[in-house]
Amino acid sequence: MSQADFTMGHHVPEMEPSPFAIPAKKLAMWLFIISDIMTFAACMIAYGFLRNFTSNWPRPFHSSTVVSVMVMTFILVTSSLTMVLAVRAAKRDDREWAFRWTLITMGAGVIFVVLHLREWQDMIDKGVRMNANPWGSSLFGALYFTVTGLELLHVVAGVIALLIVGIGYRSGRYSSTDLENCNLFWQFINMVWMFVVPFVYLLNVAN
Amino acid sequence: MQKVEKQSGIGKYIIVYVCMLVIPAIEVAIAYRHIDAVQMVAQMMALVILSTGLGIMFFMNLAMEKRSMIVFVAIFTLFVLATINYGWTDSFRLVSGAPFSTYH
Repeated sequence: MSQADFTMGHHVPEMEPSPFAIPAKKLAMWLFIISDIMTFAACMIAYGFLRNFTSNWPRPFHSSTVVSVMVMTFILVTSSLTMVLAVRAAKRDDREWAFRWTLITMGAGVIFVVLHLREWQDMIDKGVRMNANPWGSSLFGALYFTVTGLELLHVVAGVIALLIVGIGYRSGRYSSTDLENCNLFWQFINMVWMFVVPFVYLLNVAN
Repeated sequence: MQKVEKQSGIGKYIIVYVCMLVIPAIEVAIAYRHIDAVQMVAQMMALVILSTGLGIMFFMNLAMEKRSMIVFVAIFTLFVLATINYGWTDSFRLVSGAPFSTYH
């Protein structure tokens, strides 16, 4: 069969069944998430290594930071639930509620970003920089801002994706699978935060 | 027209949600305990794996996919995480010097 036969529509080629019985877009999102795990894992392993082998590693976080981090965790976990509810509404073909839950998720994401930036501001006010801090090893600032910055970047990207896909889904441009893909990415961000909280914050609590 | 699926209740999602809120609270309690650092890391790691496992299986709906998909994701992710560890050897070299090095 020639290429022209395909392009001219003379023959409709038999399609191979979707791998794992999921849409190709969803499989692509899973592959993207797994590759993104590599980025975070590289950062976390570098952090773990340097944290272990640096004698004067600072432990600057007090209870006020822990409370703030717990509030941020509550917001992110709640947004995970609201995103699941958005996908459930989308699967019922309830576009209005799917959009509302997506908006609530986005709102939670924005609050998370604001709280995170406030947390950064607090650290900067205390004298923490990428290459210096008042307490100990200068590597602390570099790793703190890199790991939490990567997370923050993902949350911002997630909020933008939710905005675009949410509006597109409401108008009928995108399908429930697209919203489901956004859900996968959003949940992934939450999973990463679950690692960041204990290893970046809680292991460095001053007590 | 899209197929509208029949759905079960949201009970399991609420349970997962509560678990994912309780687990960080337990981690905070562990952070304020005066225990050995290795023990602390091990306990936190176990809790994080539990929490993310619940999230992946239920919030990311992996539990509802075909078993072959679950196996694929698990093996691929573990392989990715294993591959990352190539960096350790170089990290140790940076701290301790190249093994069997004659140059000082």
